Amino acid sequence: MIETALKVLFILLYATFVGFMFMGIIRIVTARIHRRVGPPIYQPILDTIKLLSKESNITHGFIYDFGILYAVGATILAVMFIPLGSIGVLRAYGDLILITFLLEIPMLGIMFAAMSSGNPWAGIGAQRALLTLLAIQVPLGFAVIALAEYYGTFSTYEIVMAQQISGWSIAHFPLLLAAIAYDLVLQAMFGKEPFDIMIAPGEISLGPMVEFGGKHMGLLNIQHAIALFAETLFFSNIFLGGGVVTAFSSPVLNTIAGLLVLLVKQIAVLLVATFMAAIFPRFTIDQAAKFYWKWPTIIAALGAILASL
Amino acid sequence: MVDWRLFDPLIEYARKRSMWIVAFCTGCGGIEMPPLATARYDFERFGIMPNPAPRMADLFLITGYVTPKTLKRIIITYEMQPDPKYVLAHGSCPLNGGIYWDAYNAIKHLDKYIPVDVAIAGCMPRPEAVMDGIQKMMELIETGKADGWKRYRENYEYYRKNQDELFGEGWRERTARMWIPWLMKGNNRGEE
Repeated sequence: MIETALKVLFILLYATFVGFMFMGIIRIVTARIHRRVGPPIYQPILDTIKLLSKESNITHGFIYDFGILYAVGATILAVMFIPLGSIGVLRAYGDLILITFLLEIPMLGIMFAAMSSGNPWAGIGAQRALLTLLAIQVPLGFAVIALAEYYGTFSTYEIVMAQQISGWSIAHFPLLLAAIAYDLVLQAMFGKEPFDIMIAPGEISLGPMVEFGGKHMGLLNIQHAIALFAETLFFSNIFLGGGVVTAFSSPVLNTIAGLLVLLVKQIAVLLVATFMAAIFPRFTIDQAAKFYWKWPTIIAALGAILASL
Repeated sequence: MVDWRLFDPLIEYARKRSMWIVAFCTGCGGIEMPPLATARYDFERFGIMPNPAPRMADLFLITGYVTPKTLKRIIITYEMQPDPKYVLAHGSCPLNGGIYWDAYNAIKHLDKYIPVDVAIAGCMPRPEAVMDGIQKMMELIETGKADGWKRYRENYEYYRKNQDELFGEGWRERTARMWIPWLMKGNNRGEE
């Protein structure tokens, strides 16, 4: 019991800290692409401290507060289901559909809060976010089906274990197609540039985030950090072979090595997303919906068909 | 209970190093902001981020002359920001009207309507000068002297009186309802 609680605490702290570092890495890498110096890597932590220490806060009612907590809670729950190397609390129950579902729940929480604020910009942002959410479901579903069809299981942990024997998922052609489709979807899940239509800074004044200030925004920053960690972790687990290391004799060393291997894979996923975000302009919402129902869907469906042959 | 005053140095440091600007570009100074944010004088080094939403902002740059019509929006934007908030007046016009000293339609002393923490003279100030103002603002935040938001809270009657003298009582409601008759009647312009 105590051991599980400690594990939960460790995963939570690790995910938050690494997530903040990821946010810092995104900002630094974007700045270097622009030939700027960029902020220090711990900048998101300072931002969060500042936001949480605001002295006046506004609230627009119960749902406005609850939506934020709901988003944070759902993200934490998603992290608990994803195998983190050899550490995992609920990893035996973490099947693909559940985790995919839990990674999209936070967006709904933010939508609740944004819609209850009554700001028209937030309303437009929420509409766009829900349409994006609808559009990414199709390629995402096909990618999950391709994986499940290929490995014959929905369990994330078993997929990680199967990759220990048969090599990484992206080494197999059908799953490579699924991984490409999933990577395009990841861009929208991160809220990064070609598909950051729901946030759209400058276009609709931050969209759903427009009315969040102070402590609400601080909690959302924490949520964003954990969500970044969870999404990259899920991708590394199902497509890049996870982080199971058995090279050392001591289990502690194995665990630490596993975490490091995972970290490298997660940063690779993150950098691909950042590079794409830095060079592509934003789509409009109708273009994004058309795009997701066209190319990623075709690629992922092809992958699913090839995987089931 | 935890004594939160223990964390004050950390909080002051965080406030100092992550000032988010509300993207409210008044007048010609709006042109001087992009060079600050881009590769040559990158202000993201200090954790400053331009942000389109007033609810998330800390630093409010008044970049140029202020007309009464803009001042209404400035006051509303200022009041929307959550509390530790700092105002940096940029250029000569917010200080004393600048070259618009005899204009009927420019605000001469911005400090009468909202509290200004740091002012930079110049028309326009170089980006280095704005950076210098930002450094000064950081010093003031660190020593706790950037207290415009406290002054606004304590001397609200004074600021409110000046605002009402300029615009007349109930200007917020009138501005909000300004376009309704125009929308109803078609071609009839609203108040103002």
